Amino acid sequence: MAQKTIEEIMNSEVVLSIKDLVIKFNLRGQELTAIRGASLDLHKGESLAIVGESGSGKSVLNKSFMGLLDSNGRIESGSIMYNGQDLAKFKTEEDWIKIRGKEIAMVFQDPMTSLNPLKAIGKQVQESIELHQNLKGEEAKKLAVEILNDVGISEPERRYKQYPHEFSGGMRQRVVIATAVACNPNILICDEPTTALDVTIQAQILQLLKNLQDKYNLTIIYITHDLGVVANVADRIAVMYAGDIIEIGSSEEVFFDPKHPYTWALLSSLPQLGVKGEALYSIKGTPPNLFKEIKGDAFAPRNPHALKIDFVERPPYFEVTPTHKARTWLLDPRAPKVEPPPLVKKMQELYIEAGDKVE
Amino acid sequence: MKYISTRLFRSLLTLIIVVTVVFLLMRMMPIEGYFGANFDKLDEAQKTVKLQNLGLLDPWYTQLKNFYTDLLKGNLGESITYRPKVAITKILGDKLITSLKLGMSSLVVSLVLGLGLGILMARFKGKFMDKLGTVYVVGANAVPAVIYYLLIQVFFTDIFNLPLLYDKSNPKSWILPILCLSLVNIAYYAMWIRRYMVDELNKDYVRLARAKGLTNKEIMSKHVMRNAFVPMAQYLPASILYTVSGSIYVESLFSIPGTGGLLVTAIQRQDNTLVQALVLLYSSIGIIGLMLGDILMAAFDPRIKLANEGGSR
Amino acid sequence: MSSKKIIGKMADSIDPSLFDFAEYDESKSELTGYSNYSFWRSTVQVFMKNKVAVALLILMVCVIIFTVIQPYLPNQKSPTQIYINPETNLQYRNVQPNDEFRFGTNSIGQDLWARIWSGTRTSLFIGVAVGLFEALVGITIGALWGYVRKLDAIITEIYNVWDNIPSTVVLIILTYIMKPGISTIIFAMCMTGWLEMARFVRNLIIIIRDREYNLASRCLGTPTNRIITKNLLPYLVSVIMLRMALAIPAAIGNEVFLSYIGMGLPLDIPSLGNLINEGRALMMDPNQRYQLFFPAAVISVVTISFYVIGNVFADSADPRNHV
Repeated sequence: MAQKTIEEIMNSEVVLSIKDLVIKFNLRGQELTAIRGASLDLHKGESLAIVGESGSGKSVLNKSFMGLLDSNGRIESGSIMYNGQDLAKFKTEEDWIKIRGKEIAMVFQDPMTSLNPLKAIGKQVQESIELHQNLKGEEAKKLAVEILNDVGISEPERRYKQYPHEFSGGMRQRVVIATAVACNPNILICDEPTTALDVTIQAQILQLLKNLQDKYNLTIIYITHDLGVVANVADRIAVMYAGDIIEIGSSEEVFFDPKHPYTWALLSSLPQLGVKGEALYSIKGTPPNLFKEIKGDAFAPRNPHALKIDFVERPPYFEVTPTHKARTWLLDPRAPKVEPPPLVKKMQELYIEAGDKVE
Repeated sequence: MKYISTRLFRSLLTLIIVVTVVFLLMRMMPIEGYFGANFDKLDEAQKTVKLQNLGLLDPWYTQLKNFYTDLLKGNLGESITYRPKVAITKILGDKLITSLKLGMSSLVVSLVLGLGLGILMARFKGKFMDKLGTVYVVGANAVPAVIYYLLIQVFFTDIFNLPLLYDKSNPKSWILPILCLSLVNIAYYAMWIRRYMVDELNKDYVRLARAKGLTNKEIMSKHVMRNAFVPMAQYLPASILYTVSGSIYVESLFSIPGTGGLLVTAIQRQDNTLVQALVLLYSSIGIIGLMLGDILMAAFDPRIKLANEGGSR
Repeated sequence: MSSKKIIGKMADSIDPSLFDFAEYDESKSELTGYSNYSFWRSTVQVFMKNKVAVALLILMVCVIIFTVIQPYLPNQKSPTQIYINPETNLQYRNVQPNDEFRFGTNSIGQDLWARIWSGTRTSLFIGVAVGLFEALVGITIGALWGYVRKLDAIITEIYNVWDNIPSTVVLIILTYIMKPGISTIIFAMCMTGWLEMARFVRNLIIIIRDREYNLASRCLGTPTNRIITKNLLPYLVSVIMLRMALAIPAAIGNEVFLSYIGMGLPLDIPSLGNLINEGRALMMDPNQRYQLFFPAAVISVVTISFYVIGNVFADSADPRNHV
């Protein structure tokens, strides 16, 4: 399947635009800032992967597009523009009902618990269709069977009547995807869609999502901590750390020419890239405590190359290419030159070599 | 179907064990209870003859065998002091029907009111309605039932001008006994349905349903409610037991001619055979209730047919 | 890649010296992520947040202290003595509450105030005794049940049969075949009460054996006694406390029930059940209703308090509520 070029993506319209979003939670009587002024543009038809370790805010960010934040969370400031409306201003359930499913649908991490155990799977798919596609009864059922077929469930008519416990994890995830696709949404958010599955099944599910993206004309956001997933499917990658997007660019750019020290660290700790016989790199320390106000660059305390300014002032975005930007003072002209870690450098060289050959 | 027949067989086995255990325990009843009023006038020899005639001096296995043979013939022995020489099955007949009617009406009332209250509490979790319901649930669970039965009897008869005692021909006289019998069960159902609904609401499939675009109301009615009802089936037996023990109070308080009131009378008059028959009856009701609950669950929950769990509940 | 453009506001007022490397301190990077958590402190904190439960706890501590010291206070009457009016030489029958008899007297001239506290003392004693015995028997059997794999099946079967007999029925049989008295009541209640405790302890032991975090601690070389004190004991203590707290309202309720059906304590022992029965006999006379209301009020307050305290404590001890 032909991957869209980065230029095609950047030229297509922006469907979802997030600006300086701040999301806070009240927890144990304290205030936690989960998203600290993140900005992001989602282009039509692309696959964007949001990568980060647990607690980096990637799930919270996506839940805020659907009004699914827990009741102790709120959008403090910033905007989420979709179709001329600011979703950040939405308060009531009636507002969100127009968005959920119909415009933006979601696939959750754990297929074992995402389906109602007491309802036949076909009915659960059909429910989405009846909600959003103006079909009822037999017609809706026909479409449900068709979608079940599309997500790769054999004998969909027989399976329609079966219950979730009769399916394996991978099959259930296909059903979950079917319920999301059956809403006929514009944007599909996949929250760790393969984390709970066997490695052998993961690739199948990712391939399925790719196929569905073409057939149903979807814009997909993958939320994941697994860079392996990202490499397979994403056109663009956004790296999140401590509630902020610290680097965003096309897959090639982020993989082969990363600029933020956190991205370096993340790539260096990928087992697939490790050099045989050498200890695998691991990021020291823990992510910052989001109850406290973060000054400067959130990654600074864990960054061996941190500059003094990293502890004083928050870095702005520096543009590397029109499609690639990163939030690190290292890109400031005044900053000393810092060599990326050897592994990242090797990747860079590989990339340049490959590019030379093509030319 | 296979599940149900296994379950039936298990219950039958438990029933036999329980009946046997209870029967053997009852052999230790004070012997006065076999004689009635003239116990003190009899000498040792006369007592021995009487006990021998009743078969009480036989070894326990013979007694057990005789008991089961009689039971299969539908014979539970004769009453001693309550209505001397009258077959117990005859005494029980009408009373059992009265008790069943009362118990069933109270179960229906408490199911409707209890589930209604619990659903309201779950929907308005943390709000005034929930707190009010919780106060009621705590009160009904903690305070010994007889206290509020008595208070109801004292006050409600005056305030609502309802008859104090049961009268078969006056339907108004049914209201207070049924209300009393239902109070504990209403609290019980409300408490559990609330807990299950709150549990269900936190489950992933509810998040998916919400992400699909269902409204809160639809999620409640199409997903949460049914799923929360399924585990409720297992509480049916316990509520039958509550009704049984409640009926012991309520029937004697309101002079209802049922088996619960009979048990109190039989104990007070030391009628051993009648006490034995009633105790066995109540143990069987307990076991049958548990079995019904399990079968009901299987009927609602498609998962149970596969996983035949067994073991401790 | 040479032209680096700043997006967003320019930050030109920055002192260029800040672009030097900062000192990297690895230990500092670890500082940010931890919170200090203690099970018992959190439990107490959550409990203290529930104002109702705290108030009831204080009330119950006062009630317990009062029931113990009440007989030794000045101007207290005996709960069993029949008081006789010196002027008429008749018993003080059904005297309404007044200065001398704070809660009035009963139908044979005994002081209701003294009888209520004496009855509360009896009932609390029964409750505590039942709670302790239940814990003892339940923990022993539960430990055997969970720990000795050979016994698992057989105890499970016994449990299933026993659990199938309504506990009311067990109470009735045992009190019917034994001599009435405090020890009979305690014994009968323990016979049904240990079941739940035993099942709980068994499940707990299986959890220690198989639950992942315990396997994990064991793999990390945590000594068994540390697993027990850190992972198991908090659970166990909180459940024993809950059972003890609930044993008191249950014991009061059962005692009242048994007295009601005529299987309770002998009439010469003042107990809450006997008081309720005496009051019930007179309740149709509005002037005598105080003889029902006073014991009923005391019973309600005591049972509700222990029930609430027990449940709130159990909730507070649940780590899931320690947010």
